[in-house]
Amino acid sequence: MAEPAMLPRIAGQADAATSSAPTSGIAPRGAIRLEGISRVFGGGVVAVDRIDLDIQAGEFFTLLGPSGCGKTTLLRMIAGFETPDAGRILISGREMQSVPPHKRPVNTVFQSYALFPHLSVAENIGFGLRMRGVARPERLARTEQIMALLQIDAFARRNPAQLSGGQRQRVALARALVNEPEVVLLDEPLSALDAKLRAELQVELMRMQKRLGMTFIFVTHDQHEALVMSDRIAVMEQGRMLQVGPVLDVYEQPRSVFVAEFLGLSNIWKFTPRPGNMAETAIGALSIATPITTQRTAMIRPEKIWLYPEADAPRDRPNMFAGVVREAIYMGASTQYNVALAGGAIVLALDTNNQAAERSWGPGERVVLELKPANIMLIDG
Amino acid sequence: MSQNLAPPIRRALLLTSLPVYGLLYAPLALIAVFSFAPAPGSTTAGLHWYNDLLHAPDVLAALRRSLTLALGSSILGTALGTLMGFGLSRFRSRARSGFAAALPSLIIYTPIIMPSLVFGISELIFFNLMHKATGLFAAGLLTMGIAHVTFQAPYVALVVFARMAGLDPNLFEASHDLYANGRQSFLYLTVPVIRPAIIGGFLLAFTLSIDDFTISYFTAGPGSTTLPIYIYSAVARKGISPDINALATLMIATVIGIGLLQYGFTRQKDRQTVPRTGD
Repeated sequence: MAEPAMLPRIAGQADAATSSAPTSGIAPRGAIRLEGISRVFGGGVVAVDRIDLDIQAGEFFTLLGPSGCGKTTLLRMIAGFETPDAGRILISGREMQSVPPHKRPVNTVFQSYALFPHLSVAENIGFGLRMRGVARPERLARTEQIMALLQIDAFARRNPAQLSGGQRQRVALARALVNEPEVVLLDEPLSALDAKLRAELQVELMRMQKRLGMTFIFVTHDQHEALVMSDRIAVMEQGRMLQVGPVLDVYEQPRSVFVAEFLGLSNIWKFTPRPGNMAETAIGALSIATPITTQRTAMIRPEKIWLYPEADAPRDRPNMFAGVVREAIYMGASTQYNVALAGGAIVLALDTNNQAAERSWGPGERVVLELKPANIMLIDG
Repeated sequence: MSQNLAPPIRRALLLTSLPVYGLLYAPLALIAVFSFAPAPGSTTAGLHWYNDLLHAPDVLAALRRSLTLALGSSILGTALGTLMGFGLSRFRSRARSGFAAALPSLIIYTPIIMPSLVFGISELIFFNLMHKATGLFAAGLLTMGIAHVTFQAPYVALVVFARMAGLDPNLFEASHDLYANGRQSFLYLTVPVIRPAIIGGFLLAFTLSIDDFTISYFTAGPGSTTLPIYIYSAVARKGISPDINALATLMIATVIGIGLLQYGFTRQKDRQTVPRTGD
């Protein structure tokens, strides 16, 4: 996963903050392990509840969840701004509980950017190196290098107050990356930007992470952002990790209704098992491909549902449902159809608009939906 | 804002404000005018009384004492007040509610709202007792200086505290995140960022000290007559004389000058402030 750093290293660049601490075990540089981490705030609010997690070195890992789920608290504990009430945090195999923030091999990109108002862009970026006693010539060289990489060298002498949101975001990122930390922590760094800039910076962040080979831990409540950028994601709710895994796995095979609903659109039905691996749901009996054991909830993503004009629908296949389009929501690349079945249940189906001229439906038109058995996922509970 | 008001209301407000400003500034203007009064036996207005001041050894000695006292106490008061404001703001960020959260403002405001007469008398009693017990703290410039520092520090703390409260708390975390220990964070982030507040606080402390009468009067000793005390005793002895008008005018000019300076530093602070998020 980790690519070798392509940023040419400058001679004599010792990593003062990190090389002094003794390493235990064989954990690679930038790997993170959380063991039984808990944090309870005053008033008994459990922000983080016994979390175990391994993050690989060089991974782009995203903590995804609604506000108040504990993702930011978890990030702040890794940075050292919060102290866990229980558990161990290991970075590159080293225990971190008693290490203050300024001695941890991590750098944070804050949601508010937290750029120092009294320093220029270049001085902001060089701050970490200056605090670590890196000599001025090397400091300037590294600062210039990272500014060139992030294309902010034109603003080197400006004050943060004179920059746009996107430029500030880049400066905040450069200020973290220039220190070549083992781990970069990003706390919703894109949430204050408009959609277009956000999309640009998402790609740029990803590219930068792959290029420098550092571990990125990214906190967001935006599921789209999580899907676009991450190698793996952890979906959090009420201080717990509901599911951790590669983006594809979590999206395609959510293990709980919360994860299914938080990550993208979904159709979810409770069911009663019937002979022949059938599931009796609110829309009728569904033929299921995976063997039904203890699961009692069925889920299918809207884009996994096939739509047919009533006349052309195949007759000889399972899970065909006729319905009437209630709403057709045009979203540019695709159209979302809210289809009312005979019993009144609404099914969401997504159709790409690559042949919209030939096939598209308006409200009131009749369609046939195909829920292929292989596309129906079973969820426990 | 005033554009939203109906013209009659605007006129009424203007008419009320004029006498208020008149009452505020007319006496000051009057003193300034009187200070240019002609010398005895002459009919031409001029700088006669100012010239007199330059040749009055008592006045010059009192001025020198006032400046020494103001400068010395302001430096110490600013240093202590800055640390106090910084400490209280960090304390507040930990305590979110209840008595603990209200404590900082309580600590800052109590000395400020205390009547200076009470403050002065209590200092007098305190220094007397201390003097009897230790032989130190003889009434004089030193006791006056200590008393001045005690009322200056809370004002400075208030200014610094207000500046700190307006800063993104993430700034301090960011400095630690970028390898600054507590001392480095204070020196390279806190001090530069609150510098306008420190300078403003210093100037405020200076003006407070240089025109303080009540507390100085109670803590002064023989040979520590400052300008305000000199003016008071001169007026008590021989009534208002033109040279006092000249002295008062000079003090007004000084204080206005310092006030303008302070305003300049406050403006600079506003320019530097970065919005918390986004555009």
